Amino acid sequence: MEHQGTPLVQMEGITKRYGAVEALTDVSIHVDRHEVLGLLGDNGAGKSTLIKVLAGVHPPTTGQVYFDGKPVLLKSPADARKMGVETVHQALSLVDIMTISRNFYLGREPTRKFGPFSLLDTRKMGQECRDVVTHVGVRVRDPNEYVSLLSGGERQAISIGRAMHFGAKVLILDEPMTALSIKEVRIIVKEIEKAKDEGAAIIFITHNVHHVYPIADRFTILDRGKKVCDLDKSQASPEQIMEIVATGNMDSVNVV
Amino acid sequence: MDTKETTLWSRLLNVATRFRHRPEVGVILAFVVMSAIFSILSPSFLSLRNLTGMFTVVSELGIMTIGITFIMIAGEFDMSVSSVYALGGFLFVTLANGMNSLLAMAIVLLGAVVIGFINAMVVLKTRIPSFIATLGMMMFLRGVLLAITGGKSVKYIGDSIVPAILSTRLPLGFRPSHFWFLGLTIVFSVILMRTRYGNWVFATGGDKAVARAMGVNTDRVKIINFMVSSVLASLAGMMVITRFWIANASFGQHMELEAIAAAVIGGTFLTGGYGSIVGAFFGAFLMGTVRTGLVMSGAPAYWYRAFVGAILIIAAAINLKLRSKEM
Repeated sequence: MEHQGTPLVQMEGITKRYGAVEALTDVSIHVDRHEVLGLLGDNGAGKSTLIKVLAGVHPPTTGQVYFDGKPVLLKSPADARKMGVETVHQALSLVDIMTISRNFYLGREPTRKFGPFSLLDTRKMGQECRDVVTHVGVRVRDPNEYVSLLSGGERQAISIGRAMHFGAKVLILDEPMTALSIKEVRIIVKEIEKAKDEGAAIIFITHNVHHVYPIADRFTILDRGKKVCDLDKSQASPEQIMEIVATGNMDSVNVV
Repeated sequence: MDTKETTLWSRLLNVATRFRHRPEVGVILAFVVMSAIFSILSPSFLSLRNLTGMFTVVSELGIMTIGITFIMIAGEFDMSVSSVYALGGFLFVTLANGMNSLLAMAIVLLGAVVIGFINAMVVLKTRIPSFIATLGMMMFLRGVLLAITGGKSVKYIGDSIVPAILSTRLPLGFRPSHFWFLGLTIVFSVILMRTRYGNWVFATGGDKAVARAMGVNTDRVKIINFMVSSVLASLAGMMVITRFWIANASFGQHMELEAIAAAVIGGTFLTGGYGSIVGAFFGAFLMGTVRTGLVMSGAPAYWYRAFVGAILIIAAAINLKLRSKEM
């Protein structure tokens, strides 16, 4: 296809130390356009630390991130966002006591010039936001409704829709299905598939293999800061992956 | 009789419900009701002379309330405004008695910026709750002011430029401070509701972690809003002393609580992330209405605080009720 060989994102030999604690040891992952990578591991495996490096929250102690084959330095979340890395996190995506449209544009508000003053383009904020939100399957009567009225699934759908609307190339989903109803999980699955079709590289973080197995193409499993294995979907069943996540090694599993 | 009252009440509530996504609805209703009551109790309540007189006191409290509302929406308190108000006025008199009053005013405003910055730094660096940090600043500044002045008043003998800009009486009892209050209400309301910065203020107070994750520099928002709160308090302080032509270190004691009460009556959350400058405007006006209305209907002035206390509780309860249906 358009980029033979080099995946969109490569993280090579990432090690992260917090003082004496080594949270990540020499971990490498990669994910390409039109691809969903399931990043699995038990609590404390280092999943969050790894994606925080990619999102520019913490720089790695050693190791290098490549974007389109070129080494990049991600010093802040703003740097990462400029590269097209968007993180969707249940607790960190929307402000409850703000309206949907004000949330949708938070940090990227469109403005119009009125003489020397730049004022919010509220009409655009209302219309565009309504279109995107309706498109992701959330039935909203009014973009001026408060986010606190939305269900967990609706929030996740809006967050993903927002990331894609603002041109996300890499979509990091941090436990996007935890505490969602079955119906809502379906909406989110559809959303993720849509983002994949549009060309996003998606990293789906979870400790529950059943959430990610149906939509992932590949899996990377971490345990206590180290990578256990990379697997293609054809290599292992959900039960086998769950076993690897639970034990932290591949001793009891025969993968193809 | 009873049923009539309930239908009127339910109608009012109906209107309030329809517009309930506006934080200022409750206070505007309360303002209309209180004004109606007082104009019945005392016919001269609605006289232009009384209204402009009320406007004067309301403007000084109201300008402080705008600043308080701005910082409260960003999720912090500023208790030091009452001391900045007194210090600003006193410093202005001392300076302007020996130099051009415009220059003196500029220095005072700059000083207020510095105090706001210090407040913000103390809160951001030490992570002390801003209520405590600015309470300390309030006591510190008031104490220093009282100690240095020995409680003596100082007469204003400077030029009349700044008094003319801020307070000197105009025809029909109007004063420049009235227009300052109106203008600042409009300016800060537009900033809050119609600019990117305003959106960041709401987000900072609503959920700091989300605001940060979305790229908002929440520390910067807080620093700026602490400065605004301090600057507006010092402006109000200069207004009151150019009205009386005298400064005293005891000016404005407990005014920070009145301003916070006016902000809360105006629909602003104590927990941050929600509020309105227009609400602050009417909140300050409601307090002024109650104050002059009580005096004019012959009640002893002491009742003012009791009334404000009762209104505060009722307003907070009503605002919460209106909000709970939609948030």
